[in-house]
Amino acid sequence: MSLAHETLASLRRRLSAKEIHSRDIVKDLLTEIGTREKTVHAFTHIDEKAALAAAEKADSSLPLGGIPIALKDNLNALGDPCTCSSKILEGYRAPYDATAVARLRHAGAIFLGRTNMDEFAMGSSTENSALGVTRNPWDPTRIPGGSSGGSAAAVAGRLAIAALGSDTGGSIRQPAALCGCVGLKPTYGRISRYGLVAFASSLDQIGPLTRTVEDSAILLSALAGHDPRDNTTDLRKPETFLAKPTGSVKGLRVGLPKEYFLPGMNAETEAAIRSASQWFEKNGATLVEVSLPHTPSAIAVYYILATAEASANLARFDGVRYGRRALDPKDLMDLYQRTRSEGFGPEVKRRIILGTFVLSQGYTDAYYRKAQKVRGLLRQDFESAFTKCDLLLTPTSPEPAFPLGERTQDPLKMYLADVFTISTNLAGNGAISLPCGFTKSNLPIGLQLIGPRFGEEKMLQAAHAYEQAHDFWKRMPPV
Amino acid sequence: MSAPKLNVADVAGLARLSLTPDETTKFTTQLSQILAHMETLGQIPTGDVPEVVPPAQPVLRKDVPCPSLSVEAALSNAPAQSNDLILVPKIVE
Repeated sequence: MSLAHETLASLRRRLSAKEIHSRDIVKDLLTEIGTREKTVHAFTHIDEKAALAAAEKADSSLPLGGIPIALKDNLNALGDPCTCSSKILEGYRAPYDATAVARLRHAGAIFLGRTNMDEFAMGSSTENSALGVTRNPWDPTRIPGGSSGGSAAAVAGRLAIAALGSDTGGSIRQPAALCGCVGLKPTYGRISRYGLVAFASSLDQIGPLTRTVEDSAILLSALAGHDPRDNTTDLRKPETFLAKPTGSVKGLRVGLPKEYFLPGMNAETEAAIRSASQWFEKNGATLVEVSLPHTPSAIAVYYILATAEASANLARFDGVRYGRRALDPKDLMDLYQRTRSEGFGPEVKRRIILGTFVLSQGYTDAYYRKAQKVRGLLRQDFESAFTKCDLLLTPTSPEPAFPLGERTQDPLKMYLADVFTISTNLAGNGAISLPCGFTKSNLPIGLQLIGPRFGEEKMLQAAHAYEQAHDFWKRMPPV
Repeated sequence: MSAPKLNVADVAGLARLSLTPDETTKFTTQLSQILAHMETLGQIPTGDVPEVVPPAQPVLRKDVPCPSLSVEAALSNAPAQSNDLILVPKIVE
């Protein structure tokens, strides 16, 4: 069997036993990429020679020694491109490593490929990439989800063993659900964002996309921890997640938020989620109905706050210090305006304008400040729910992958697809998406488990127990 | 709170973007729909709810110098440079 089909945990054991060499994994992945990348288009950049050279030097005694990992194209890795799938960063080469990248490097990982994304992580389908769309390996006429659609499609399509993504409103979990892999958004403050190109700094988190929950825990253990370069990172000591899997959910109180089960939701998604909750009950967990009453406001709150923060964060792309610069500017204002207008795509412009508007004089109270207050209420909803349960169980996405092109002209409809993932970013909690079934037309369905803040261990234990009792994660996409 | 009239071209100017007439028309329609959706927040009572602080307490480090990017690395992506400086159009007449 091609090594590209194995899990990170299995490869790690075999590398450390010297049964295989890192170069064998890289070669097998390159073979898979050679066959299927033309259809899937998960990557924006692959440097075969560099990956093979790094594999030759890999030290298999390290925790991730010789394991190839794909990086979303918004994470700086020294010497590599970091385009954010935008024309404005054409030709840019990272002059330093993001902390997350440095930690993986330190643990012995090697990097194979930069993955496609919605431009500056703004989108839910990876169709907002200036470098071409990514296709879902389960059905290439459909979107892979987004914004980390390249990472999810690469992992699901066996073109990467594991990948990093970033999640501002669901950008790891939603593509993981739609592509049938595992996506983890850690608690805000768990992983340093230094070197991640910022979108909305009060919401952004980096996290892994993997085939299994165990692989997710391995990467989280390597990535987590305080970083003096990101003062939002928490000071707690490093830990090894899922070191002793219990395989049990006995005694667990699982909360089902009633606002996440709505009349008219996709029937196959609802059936799969109900069946997953029944599995928890059958195996000794207690199901508790809870309420997160401010859920219906989450999308409005999110698109006010995220665009406000983005309008400030993206001000740095001005054509002065790095990236694209408009030719022959007549003055500084012309340089700014033409550089940005030529360099940014339509969704990025739309969000910058919206964010600038909600922060503009006369409107901040009605929009920005109001949204901040409702965000506080949303956070209270979660705190109160977690007094009654240990984990929340919900769908990750209200529906399976939709056809390419279906929503590109209707941004509001596209935004509504994030309804089940956005609240956790606003509240700062961690959440994981894992496969829990397939539709009749063979599209993956994702189950989301949400934990209290810094409750990743319990979340991973429950997710692992559920995953190992099913074989959804073993299924292979047709492409 | 009723939906305000959004002058897309003006706001784009504040954000240092210049839009084509087509973009202006399209964004005006799309952003009006999005803002109408956001109006629903007005109905939520938030009288004495405090404005939220970011979801993590900032951890400050000691203010001591530590290594940073070399001049060469920092300038490696500059679109135009000379003598270790970034070149930009003249800003003072």
